[in-house]
Amino acid sequence: MAAPERTWVPIEPGFFTIPSDRKETPRLLGSRCAACGEVFFPRRPICARCLGRETVDVPLGPRGTLYTWTYTHFPLFGSRRADAGGYGVGQVDLPEGPRVQAVLSGGPGAFRIGMEMELELEVLRENSKGEEVVIFRFRPVVEPGGAK
Amino acid sequence: MKLEDVAVIGVGMTRFGAYRERTLVDLAREAGLRALDDAGVSFRDVGEAFVGYMQATPMTGIRIMKEFGLTGLPVSHVENASATGLIAFREAAYAVSSGRCDVAMALGFEKMTDLARGSGQGRGVGRDTIDSVILPAAYFALWATRRMYERGTKPEHFARIAAKNWNAGARNPWSHRQPDHVVTIEEVLASPKVAEPLTAMMSCPVSDGAACAILARKDLARRLRPGRPLVVPLSSSLQTETYTRGHTFLGPVVGPASMTRDAALQAYEEAGLGPSDVNVALVHDAFANEELEYYELLGFCAPGDAEKLLEEGETEPRGRIPFNTDGGLIARGHPGGPTGLAQIHELALQLRGEAGARQVEGARVGLAHLVGGGSVCTVNLLRRE
Repeated sequence: MAAPERTWVPIEPGFFTIPSDRKETPRLLGSRCAACGEVFFPRRPICARCLGRETVDVPLGPRGTLYTWTYTHFPLFGSRRADAGGYGVGQVDLPEGPRVQAVLSGGPGAFRIGMEMELELEVLRENSKGEEVVIFRFRPVVEPGGAK
Repeated sequence: MKLEDVAVIGVGMTRFGAYRERTLVDLAREAGLRALDDAGVSFRDVGEAFVGYMQATPMTGIRIMKEFGLTGLPVSHVENASATGLIAFREAAYAVSSGRCDVAMALGFEKMTDLARGSGQGRGVGRDTIDSVILPAAYFALWATRRMYERGTKPEHFARIAAKNWNAGARNPWSHRQPDHVVTIEEVLASPKVAEPLTAMMSCPVSDGAACAILARKDLARRLRPGRPLVVPLSSSLQTETYTRGHTFLGPVVGPASMTRDAALQAYEEAGLGPSDVNVALVHDAFANEELEYYELLGFCAPGDAEKLLEEGETEPRGRIPFNTDGGLIARGHPGGPTGLAQIHELALQLRGEAGARQVEGARVGLAHLVGGGSVCTVNLLRRE
C-alpha cells in the first residue's frame, strides 16, 4: 500500500491552483479588467492599462509559449558556486496576454524559444505541520529526444 | 524640468574593491573629504545633502553625515536600487537649480561584501517567497538569449564588450578590477558560466566603496576654481515602468528595456542635445549584454545595428562614442549606492580633461545611465562649459 499523499500548500496563496487530483494540471490565477478586458498575472485589483478599479478573477494557461530562457549555474549572485547544480529560468507567453517569469524544469539543453510549455507544481520543502510547500514552474511539453 | 545654473564643483571616491576590514563610515568619509577638497569648499558651506545606499539600516546616512561635522544641514536618504547614486546626484542638482541651496552634496556608499558574506541566503537566493527566485544574472541572461534569437548575436559580442571594459579598468586607478594583462575575448568566454550565455567575466564583481559629488551655482564654481572648465548637468530624467502587453510583473529585476529609450529621449530633449552630441557614455553594464542593448536604446545606432557598432570598434576608447571608459560596472565595480556617483566622478574628470590615460580627446558632453531593480531608469547629460 502506497504511503498517503501529504497535503500540498502554496508558498503564497492567490497565485495558482492546487488540483485535488494531482494528475490534473494546475492553473495560474489572474485578473481581467472589467472595463478594458486586459488580463494580468498575478492578480491585481486596479487595471495597469486603463486604471479601472474593477477586475475579475480568471484562471490562466496552463500552456504557453517560451519567449526566452536561461540556465543559471550560480544561484547566489556573483558570489559562490551552488552546492546543487543549477536551474532553468524563462518567460512564458500565455494565450490570454500575460508574460510569466518562472523557474523551468529540465536541464540546460532542454529549452528553445517558441516551444510549448505547461504549468506544473514543484515541492520546495516541508513545513512545521508536515505539509508540503509547493511553487509553480513550467516544463517543456515535448522534451528533446523524449528524455525526461 | 531643465536644470539651470548648476555645476559639479567637486568629485571624490574610494577605489572600489572588497574592503572587509573597513567600515562604511571610513569609506564614506574618505570619498566625501576628497570631493570637498576637490571643490575647495568647507563642509560648513554645504547647504543640503542627499545620501544613497541600499543595504545598511535606516538612518545610516544621517549618522554618517555627522562624520563631516554637525552643522544642522538638511539630509535626505535616497534609495533607488542600482540607480541610487545617480538619483542622489539628481536630487542635489535640483536642490541647487531650484534655488533651495547654493551648495549641495550627493554621497553614496555601500559594502556589498557584507551582503554576499551574510547568511549565505541573501535576497533572491532562497525560495521563501513566490517572488524571490530570479537573480539579476538570470534576468539579464533572458535578454541575452532573446537577442541571440532575434538578431543572431553571438556570445563573442558580449565577450568583446566585457574585455573592453576589463581593459578600461586597467587604466583607471579607481577601478575594482585592474587586470595585469590584456583581457581577451577567449578568456572572457572561458570563465565559468553564470547564467547562459553569460559568464563570470561578463558580470560585475561584488564591490564595496563610496563616491561623492559636490554641486553649486555656476558663479560659485567659477570663483572657487578659476580656470577649471565647468562641468554642467543639463538634464536628469527618471522613469519607472510603463505598461505594454506582455509586461512581466512577477520576478523581473528591471522592467521593459524601453525604459532606457524613453528616459534617454526625455534627457536629450531637456538638454537640447542628441546622441551625436555625446562624446562619452557610462551605462549600467552589470552584465555585458546590457551595454549592447543600450547602444540602440540610447540612440547611438539604429535598432539591430548594435553588433555592427561594436564590431567596428566605435565604442572602444578611441572610437566615435567610447562606452564605459572607467571600466563600467564590470571592472570599476558596482557597490550599489555609490555606483552612479562613480560615473559622475569619471564624467567630471573626462569633461575637465583630467582623465589621464583614459582621456577621450576633446570630450564636451557626457552621458550617465543606470537602471535599478523594481524598477527605474535614469539618464543624465553633462556638458563642459
